[in-house]
Amino acid sequence: MFNYTFHWRPALNALPQMLEGAVVTLQIAVLSMIIGIAIGVVLAVMQGSRFRVFRGIASAWVEVARNTPALFQIYMAYFGLGQLGIHLDSFVALLAGITFNNAGYLAETFRGGLRAVPRTQVRAARSLGFGAFDAFRLIVMPQMFRAVFHPMTNQMVWAILMTSLGVIVGLNTDLTGVTQELNVRTFRTFEYFAIAAVLYYIIAKIVTLGARGIAWRLFKY
Amino acid sequence: MIRKLALAGLAFAVMAAPLTTPAFADKLDDIIASGKLRCAVVLDFPPMGSRDENNEPIGYDVDVCNDLAGVLGVEAEIVETPFPDRIPALVSGRVDVGVASTSDTLERAKTVGFSIPYFAFTNVVLTREGTGIDSYESLKGHKVGSVAGVFEGIALEASVNEWNDPDGSFRSYQSQADVFLALAQGQIDATVVTSTVASATVKSGAYDGLKVGGDAPYLVDYVGLITLRNEYGLLNYLNLFVNQQIRTGRYEELYRKWIGEGELPNLTVPGVYY
Repeated sequence: MFNYTFHWRPALNALPQMLEGAVVTLQIAVLSMIIGIAIGVVLAVMQGSRFRVFRGIASAWVEVARNTPALFQIYMAYFGLGQLGIHLDSFVALLAGITFNNAGYLAETFRGGLRAVPRTQVRAARSLGFGAFDAFRLIVMPQMFRAVFHPMTNQMVWAILMTSLGVIVGLNTDLTGVTQELNVRTFRTFEYFAIAAVLYYIIAKIVTLGARGIAWRLFKY
Repeated sequence: MIRKLALAGLAFAVMAAPLTTPAFADKLDDIIASGKLRCAVVLDFPPMGSRDENNEPIGYDVDVCNDLAGVLGVEAEIVETPFPDRIPALVSGRVDVGVASTSDTLERAKTVGFSIPYFAFTNVVLTREGTGIDSYESLKGHKVGSVAGVFEGIALEASVNEWNDPDGSFRSYQSQADVFLALAQGQIDATVVTSTVASATVKSGAYDGLKVGGDAPYLVDYVGLITLRNEYGLLNYLNLFVNQQIRTGRYEELYRKWIGEGELPNLTVPGVYY
């Protein structure tokens, strides 16, 4: 039924290489989250804007990012832009693709978060002498992040898992890339994929637990 | 506790069961009994495997699979399989044999069983007009790439690492088509492919401005048919099949049909028994 004997010893010898890949995976995920959050906040504000152009741009971004596969977005960042003569490095293309996706999803999350902050908060802040920007930055944003922190953690985990799509644009340094290289070289598919799955699980778990810790410190009343 | 023990016992029994039941029918029997031979063939690797205008699989490897099915007296089923998925397809029982230009490396032979070589490739540099690449040595300091894990890709990556030029880099892609796309767009400046693929690709004109930029100084890349490592009955059959293909002149016939004129690649290594 299952014609395969596991060779764990040589597979475990490749663990240092795979851990290096895991670091790259984490780098991409973290960078894509930081940039994604920044763009996401801007998009969320733009969606509530009075100007139609801003609303249009923001909703176009959100629509495309949320309603097309991440794989397609990354492929377009690499081969799509390549067709136009813009050559992104595999790492950058993957980062751009995931960031695009993150920003789209986070914008919707943030929009919900902004709704959750009572309008009276802004008025109270303004009447205390805060400028419009300061009121947003110091009063609205912290309350919004409190409301959306857990959905954001979700997106972070999702970003980690999305980095595995880098192989389609030739990335061979992240965890999936390293795994795939080892796989095709030795044909020990199941060992390497099993180790990779465990590593992904551990990374995602650490991020979730870490986020819970941060939330506990930052957002307690 | 009792339940855990019972579960462990059950799991052990399930795992041990295949070890204790004697194997009556091997893969060769199964293929003959089922009346179907499922071959893993790479279909973006012309002229060995590709699709015609009706989307039907064609190519050297497709014909080899058909021949094999013919002598077994069964129907051939071509299962399109990208390079990196050949072994998972085999091990998971999705296909019976791989007719997929698989280089017979010792590393891979730890996992799958190889027949004697049924074909042999030499490798050339494929580049774009205007890159200034005209030999293997001139690849130094250029962005190069290949299909993940293929023979020539492994050799190319080793060279890039050895040159250790800060401007040079190596990328691996999941399919031959993506490599050509990346090359045509300028994501990479050159790749190394088998001479058969290079001439077929340049001739097809599907990608503008590609040209051959000299030979790659690699060992001859012998490729075998593959199946599960422990299927000796089938492996013996495959060896005899390859031998008969050459003996009967079918090897030459297929070579002329798919690759063309010129000397047939020699499938024997002088001075050694297989």
